[in-house]
Amino acid sequence: MTEQEIQQEVTAIVAEVTEMDKDEIWEKRDANFFKELEVDSLLALEILAMIEKKFKIQIPEERLVDITCLTATIDLTRSILAESGRIEA
Amino acid sequence: MDESRGAMTFEEVRATLPQKYPFIFIDRVLELEAGKRIVCLKNVTGNEAFFSGHFPDFAVMPGALILEALAQATILLFKRSATEAPDPDSLFLFAGVKGRMLKPVFPGDQLRLEVTVEKLISTGALTQGVVTVDGETVVKAELSFGLAKRDSLKR
Repeated sequence: MTEQEIQQEVTAIVAEVTEMDKDEIWEKRDANFFKELEVDSLLALEILAMIEKKFKIQIPEERLVDITCLTATIDLTRSILAESGRIEA
Repeated sequence: MDESRGAMTFEEVRATLPQKYPFIFIDRVLELEAGKRIVCLKNVTGNEAFFSGHFPDFAVMPGALILEALAQATILLFKRSATEAPDPDSLFLFAGVKGRMLKPVFPGDQLRLEVTVEKLISTGALTQGVVTVDGETVVKAELSFGLAKRDSLKR
């Protein structure tokens, strides 16, 4: 899996959950979900569950707090993939 | 008595749910696998209070109440799956639903409610619910719930 694929898939998931256009959420990739994009903790959980399904990984509950913006969500996905040996760290 | 794994009687259901009469929409739990799934029964009788208003000349169970039954099934599953007792100051609240009512439910129908966990954490759950009557699907839904502190919900 390439870096670009991870980025695209996670962006598509976040776009779906936040009901935003992919280009729009990408532009706001560093905007805080909770303070700026009206995402609540359950939407964050939904993002987490969709990432788990898409990438066939398990994200522990304590990592939910890392889902703060699109960039952080991509980073989290990448690090879990690396921890499980699916991509190079 | 039913010897299936995790089965619960009405008395156990009533003691476990925060909802009380006349707002309990689960009669019995047939199966429960902690953290994974639950199967419940609800017998719909012509004597239900809501039928007097929905509708006075044609009794059909409100779809919203079938979703409520799925929510109650999820609460039972959540409570039986928790490793520690939930904070008594918290309420389990319905946060989102994406559902379809495929067929109407009438007096005499027996609802089989099956809820499968998509993701369960200590403060919330995402689940999928399927309700059948005589093997036919009447409602399908994706549901999400969050545990909220009573204080944070001040009116």
